[in-house]
Amino acid sequence: MTDRHRHTLAASGLRKHYDQVRAVDKVDLLIVPGEVVALLGPNGAGKSTTIDMILGLTRPDAGEVRLLGRAPRDAIREGAVGVMLQDPALLDDVNVRETVAMIASLHRAPMAVEEALRRAGVEDLGARRCAKLSGGEKQRVRFAMALVSDPDLLVLDEPTSAMDVGSRRELWRSMLAFTGTGRTVLFATHYLEEAEAYADRVVLMRAGRIVADGPVARVTAEVSGRTVRAVVPGARLPELRALPGVMGAELRGDRAEIRCADSDAVLRELLTRYPGTGDIEVGTLGLEEAFLALTSRSAEAAS
Amino acid sequence: MRTGYLVFEVRRAFRDSRFLLFAVALPVGLYLLQSSLSGQTTAGHDGSYIMGSLAAFGAFKAALDVGARTAVERGAGWQRLLRLTPLTGGGYMAAKASAAMLVALLPVACVSLAAGLVSGVELPAMGWLQQVLGTWAGTLPFALLGLLVGQVASPQSVQTYQGGVLLLLSFVGGLFIPVSTFPVALATVAKVLPSYWLAEIGHGAALGGAGIGQAALVLALYTLAFGAAVAVRYRRDSARV
Repeated sequence: MTDRHRHTLAASGLRKHYDQVRAVDKVDLLIVPGEVVALLGPNGAGKSTTIDMILGLTRPDAGEVRLLGRAPRDAIREGAVGVMLQDPALLDDVNVRETVAMIASLHRAPMAVEEALRRAGVEDLGARRCAKLSGGEKQRVRFAMALVSDPDLLVLDEPTSAMDVGSRRELWRSMLAFTGTGRTVLFATHYLEEAEAYADRVVLMRAGRIVADGPVARVTAEVSGRTVRAVVPGARLPELRALPGVMGAELRGDRAEIRCADSDAVLRELLTRYPGTGDIEVGTLGLEEAFLALTSRSAEAAS
Repeated sequence: MRTGYLVFEVRRAFRDSRFLLFAVALPVGLYLLQSSLSGQTTAGHDGSYIMGSLAAFGAFKAALDVGARTAVERGAGWQRLLRLTPLTGGGYMAAKASAAMLVALLPVACVSLAAGLVSGVELPAMGWLQQVLGTWAGTLPFALLGLLVGQVASPQSVQTYQGGVLLLLSFVGGLFIPVSTFPVALATVAKVLPSYWLAEIGHGAALGGAGIGQAALVLALYTLAFGAAVAVRYRRDSARV
């Protein structure tokens, strides 16, 4: 990689409307070489539309995408981008090796077909007709097809959907081996655990917008954390929200519920400012739950 | 770069048992049946006449099938996947048309071989050349027609379209029943169809008729028309990204 392009992927101001629905609304994304980025969000958050625009499969209403400094179509033509989309797209009447070899034949400098099969963990399936593959095997064959051009950037749209736990682990192991060689990966998923386990960076989407973007540890700290529940006589919501490290608060009568990163700090402040505070409970917010809380909260804020 | 895809397509077609059965075994079988039924009696309607008809049938059916199958592949997301490779949309269409032409050579060759070896049809060298290479080259508009059907039809409806086109072209085009036995009105319709003219290339080779220039002209016009339709449709489809 040269300094001809600082970013493996640069998307700015991407928008896409379908009829009245805002599928993607002003998405900006910069990915530097070597990053493994998870595009995380619930179904319908706009992940697939974003990926389609990044790959040039869908024309954005506004905004621009550059892959390795080039237009998506040009980067793809040079074999710099390996892609695995959601739909199966395998022909039933050919075998696995023929399929991967055909894709390899379209590229200028592919890796050896056997090498791609081995990396995707399907070297034993080379002679099998695609019609006879299980769902998980099909996904891994498609991973081999994405790898065979020996790309700088790998884009995977929900690569593990329709996979059992074993196949899923296999696929991620292959992906990690690939990124070990300094390649860049962008993958979409709605599994929080996958983002957490395999990505350096998480980009959270909700309702067509990016609502959080950062290293896994930071986003995890942001979305996880504690809940403090207490009866706080005389409390006012803006004051609660202004307490140090508070990510969100609700007040029903005297009952306050405060989401925060550091519950000790919040409690200390709370007791100092409102000596009447009592009935205190501190709980941990589950990651999954926190993720939902964060994404739905941002949607409220947006509307 | 396109050859890899072409080889892939041709291999798929030749491996397809239905293709071998209907585009190769069927015309050869029909040829052997009809040539033995009609005997060596009627002048002009011996084995050499039927050879042209059934070689034309096998060739255009093979070519049509390859193109029409693109509808099913589009439905499976295959074309979407190919858009993520260096193969361009135009390259894909060109490879499909070339594959259609390559597989069409097999039925022409097999029917001609059956005629020469089994029925003892004898032609001068130029006659054989016209029968085999002429009929084969004349299949180009049908390869394009197949692509057009593949573009227009959905994966569900493609079989119906394909069957309809096939029936119309082969029966009304006089490939199974000679046009000379048609009522006048139907014979006029037959002479509008490209399949009639495709068979005329072989008929001309066998019976020494003059028709080949006119057949070449009609088929060239059909090639232009179908080629333009495929291109227009392709432009419209790719604009709808």
